[in-house]
Amino acid sequence: MDARSGPALAVANRILLWAVFLTLAVICVYPMIWLFLNAFKTTNDMFAATWGLPKVWHWENFSKAWNYGISRYLLNSLVVTSATVVIELSLATMAAYALVVLNFRAKAAIYTLILGGAILPPEVSLIPLFRVMAETGLYNTYFALILPNVAFGLPFTTFLIRAYMTGIPGELREAALMDGAGEARIFREVYLPLCRPILASAGLISAMRVWNEFIFALTFVESESVKTVTIGVMSFAVALRADWGVLMAGLALSILPILATFLVMQRQFVGGLTSGAVK
Amino acid sequence: MPEKSDMSRATWRQSLQGWLWVAPALLFLVVFVYGPALTNIRFSLFSFSAMSLDWNFVGLDNYLRLWNDPKFTTALTNNALYAVISVTCQVGIALVLAAVLEARIFPDFSANLFRTALFLPSILPVVVVGLVWQLLLTPTTGLIDQILWETGLASWSKAWLGEPDTAIFAIIFVSQWQWTGYIMALFMVAIRAVPRDLYEAMEIDGASGVQQFWHITVPGVRETILIVTIITILGSLKVFDIVWVMTAGGPNHSSEVLGTMMYRAAFRDDMVGYSSTIATVIFFIALTIGLVQIKLQKDR
Repeated sequence: MDARSGPALAVANRILLWAVFLTLAVICVYPMIWLFLNAFKTTNDMFAATWGLPKVWHWENFSKAWNYGISRYLLNSLVVTSATVVIELSLATMAAYALVVLNFRAKAAIYTLILGGAILPPEVSLIPLFRVMAETGLYNTYFALILPNVAFGLPFTTFLIRAYMTGIPGELREAALMDGAGEARIFREVYLPLCRPILASAGLISAMRVWNEFIFALTFVESESVKTVTIGVMSFAVALRADWGVLMAGLALSILPILATFLVMQRQFVGGLTSGAVK
Repeated sequence: MPEKSDMSRATWRQSLQGWLWVAPALLFLVVFVYGPALTNIRFSLFSFSAMSLDWNFVGLDNYLRLWNDPKFTTALTNNALYAVISVTCQVGIALVLAAVLEARIFPDFSANLFRTALFLPSILPVVVVGLVWQLLLTPTTGLIDQILWETGLASWSKAWLGEPDTAIFAIIFVSQWQWTGYIMALFMVAIRAVPRDLYEAMEIDGASGVQQFWHITVPGVRETILIVTIITILGSLKVFDIVWVMTAGGPNHSSEVLGTMMYRAAFRDDMVGYSSTIATVIFFIALTIGLVQIKLQKDR
């Protein structure tokens, strides 16, 4: 739009800013490069030179890590994450719809109650939840992770979707009501399609949160067959203290799906994860 | 927000429909968040272990014991340090970085690249970040130590995570490494919503970049600063993963935070009532922060 080059800056300041940002960028990115390069080394190579390229590329580190259980952990994380996101988005979208278009008693109080969940950290519910899981037989199943993850994600997701829905003109609904459509149909055929962008962002935020979730996974499951990747790599790290190459290959594999998606769609990623920054 | 009169005009029939739409979400929150949180407060008045059926009502004894527990003082201090350093880096520094990137000092392509690079750590699982930095900080073989050796600073080399003086600071540093770029990206979105002509007007008046920052950017993103500060403080209160992975509160409980202390009490030392007491303290601190936020937002 305009050809401004920003505020007039002395050359020295400009150089300084470049230096600062370049340094920060290296500090932020290099540990990941280091991880991936060292994943190809033997422990001895690593002792000799931790920053060089591997002399021999030990691809077998990755197959060892994969067979050690990473594949199962990734699958479990996929199941827990997708189930959580689907349930959470459905419930949040329904609640947001009612909060935006319907009139009902105690609406403000109910909205406060939903939002209030956002300030409570999982720690405050952990012990009673653990007992509930044990008593209901949900302990050590996918549900023990999916259900609390949905509950703790709902406040922010509902907030995001509600904020977006307030921007949809109410006339659309009124016109549809005139045509004899019910709320369920208006929700499905008018609001859901219009909400697609925010559903994508909210889904991404929620998926990232669940994929990286730690304390529920640490507390509510114990079998290899249900462990998610975050807890998986923990046990992996304990078991492989002596074999750094394989350990790092495992860590690299565990973040590869997220990293690859991020690098391919970084614009959508940053945009999605920062939605809600301005009201 | 609908008018007050709309609300009271809502009939029971209408209300029933509304309630049905919010019921599933509400049910989840009551069953998995609020209910357990309240139960937890009740637990804190008892002394019991996970396996036994033996519940002793002890009143406020757990709180007294907590008050006199030196680990509790350490944990509270560490949470506070975490909050202060995080607010400085993630609100202060991140805002400055965002302002620089949005001031078009760099060509768009490089600005974009910097944003992506600084944002990258925030997409990684905390566990992986913790484990990778544990390896990076390992004495002798870790990258940090090797850098110190190469640059002739070998005397600075130490077991950052193994010494009581440095463990918590090393952890807090890693946390800043992970989140500063994310908050920076949030601020960039907020700054973009500030009208450009404000900047242009000030520039015509010959104001420097620093003056523009204080007079336009900071007031323009006040709301975001408030929210980010609250989120950061709440985040410092609930911190658990990174500490549990990197030191598990050690060495000698020096890097203990409320979260790790609570977790250890319940799931390692089998003092469930005592652990619930710590969780209750977390609950009330979180509640206070939430109420402060509501108050501050109303004052706007």
